[in-house]
Amino acid sequence: MASLFVIHGHDQGKRFPLDAAVLSVGRDASNTIQLQDSEVSRRHAQIAHTEQGPSLVDLKSSNGTYVNGQSVQERILRSGDRVQFGRTLLIFTGNEDRSSIDLLEEVAIIDRNRPAEGSRIVSSISQEEGSRIVCETDPATSPWLARTRSNLQIMYQTALAASHTLDIDQLLQRIMEFIFEWVETDRGCIMLIDRESEELTPKVFRHRRAARDAEKMRISQTILDYVLEHREGVLTSDAKTDERWDTGASILKMGVREAICVPMQGRYDTVGIIYIDTYTPPGQMIQNRQINRFTNEHLKLMIAIAHQAALAVEDTSYYSAMVQAERLAAVGQTIATLSHHVKNILQGIRGGSYLIEEGLKLSNTDLVRKGWSIVDKNQEKISNLVMDMLTFSKERQPERIAADLNRVVADVIELMEVRAADADVRLLWQPAEGLPLWTFDPEALHRAILNVVTNAIDACEKSGDGCVQVWTDYDQPRQVAVVAVQDNGEGIPEEEIRRIFSVFESRKGSRGTGLGLPVSQKILKEHRGEIRVESTPNEGSTFFLEFPAIAAGPTTETMSELPSG
Amino acid sequence: MISPSPNPPHRQVLIVDGSADTREVLSTALRMRGVSTLEAAEARQGVEMARQYHPGVIVLDVEAAAADDDQICREYQSQSREHHSRLVVLGRAVQYEQDLPRDRIMSKPYHFAPLIRTIERLLSSSAET
Repeated sequence: MASLFVIHGHDQGKRFPLDAAVLSVGRDASNTIQLQDSEVSRRHAQIAHTEQGPSLVDLKSSNGTYVNGQSVQERILRSGDRVQFGRTLLIFTGNEDRSSIDLLEEVAIIDRNRPAEGSRIVSSISQEEGSRIVCETDPATSPWLARTRSNLQIMYQTALAASHTLDIDQLLQRIMEFIFEWVETDRGCIMLIDRESEELTPKVFRHRRAARDAEKMRISQTILDYVLEHREGVLTSDAKTDERWDTGASILKMGVREAICVPMQGRYDTVGIIYIDTYTPPGQMIQNRQINRFTNEHLKLMIAIAHQAALAVEDTSYYSAMVQAERLAAVGQTIATLSHHVKNILQGIRGGSYLIEEGLKLSNTDLVRKGWSIVDKNQEKISNLVMDMLTFSKERQPERIAADLNRVVADVIELMEVRAADADVRLLWQPAEGLPLWTFDPEALHRAILNVVTNAIDACEKSGDGCVQVWTDYDQPRQVAVVAVQDNGEGIPEEEIRRIFSVFESRKGSRGTGLGLPVSQKILKEHRGEIRVESTPNEGSTFFLEFPAIAAGPTTETMSELPSG
Repeated sequence: MISPSPNPPHRQVLIVDGSADTREVLSTALRMRGVSTLEAAEARQGVEMARQYHPGVIVLDVEAAAADDDQICREYQSQSREHHSRLVVLGRAVQYEQDLPRDRIMSKPYHFAPLIRTIERLLSSSAET
């Protein structure tokens, strides 16, 4: 769908789909595209679909219509055109991006089941490690790398300056030019992750003249998945043997294709990947007695380039407006979800209060008591909601003190006994014997355990034979403190286990806030621990809250004072 | 939910609401007024009960599970037309609001006293017809 996306102005972040045959643009509400901009005329311009593409016509507006900085009366829009009405700047995205069609002819992503002609990963380097070459300088070991490193700074500066004016495709084109300048590659491709479909879309493809008639660029999905998942750059080769220096018969016959695939890791997220490859024909290998053209140095450099490129991409107005629009939507969703919970709790409090009022009027103590228990339950709910919200929103350091894990769990059990009895669920508690004092934040852990136990009780509430078992343990070999919470509820299907730790993903319908487990997980992470789940549908789930057991008291202090080794 | 038969059907209220608190409050307040109550936690089960008992009033929380299902919505409306089960909806939902008088739609969060008054008024007017 062709669209205009507002990158600057009051309506920033809005996307107007060009879905009608004729659309009008203006300040007035009667327009298809209404812009909140006093510099825009009431009826400013019109867009009509023609065979050549959408035609933009200025309707004698007071301040004029500009495309790519030029005043226009009439103009056929092309993808990437910047259109300005008054103070509002928009980017036009075409229906069918011509360049992307061409790209699909050049680039093929090969699915997981078909191995890409025996290519395999020769080495991989993590994104962090790769980025380090930007700051570390050791010209002695590699003058080539040192030179490129200084170029990298220049590239970033250029890209940064460019990114504010260029649209994203032009920026990527520039980045590809840089890569071809510095790396001896035959072909290159930049793919960005589409923020809606979350799929990789080829944006730029480039090849050296000599490589023009070579086969289509084949990129294996397995390698793309690996790069995105591990956030590592990889070097692959289709050389048939492990001994890459052995110019074996097959290599002589087929030549070797080598490729580097690196993630574009930005400030917030991975925005895409860069893929480059070379092909060394058999003849050349005999001449040079050397078959590999890509080394770990190349890989490191490409990781650094990709990182800088990602930063530049994030800096483009188009991208940041899109991210901002997404964030606003997320904030909106957060507020909607939270007000929904508060509204439900408020409804409960009103109900309870109503019964209390009636009871007081009729001097009916039973009624007052009934009303009070409802109010009480709901004030507990709101306090939990607020505590979860606070824990989730704050970056806090756990206040570590020497504490007794069994005591903390016992407190939770005591609190939950009423709820378990109400739900007709047996609550069994088995403290491990002889646990020493450990250093952790008992209040935070209390909350983490409380949320998990609450879920466990809810999970087997309807089963009739509900039972929740809680125990503590010390995993000696791993030196990990464990609190386990087991229920015999309906269990969680494997594909949903990852989702239960996402915010606002409640499996409990209106009863859950979708904050409980994410909060517990966050607390455990703050303790450098984690929550593990084992679950069998129809049999139940066990949640293990695990964190490093740091012995409390004088023992640790004297230990750390001893000279090491 | 307990022995609905001895009461004349029009002095009976069906409460369809996902919240146990709301069901308890409404049941308690109505039973004190000599009205018998039926309870359902979700809309599908509620339709079954409405078909079986033809209560004088149905109180339906539009957020109850399956209440947004079009088929279920039509069933409630036909129960209301054919068996004089007056519908009161809790919360706003377009599909339920088409034929419903404004005073039978309670926007959330609502107060219980006016809700109870509405239910009583509907019960006594259906007793007259």
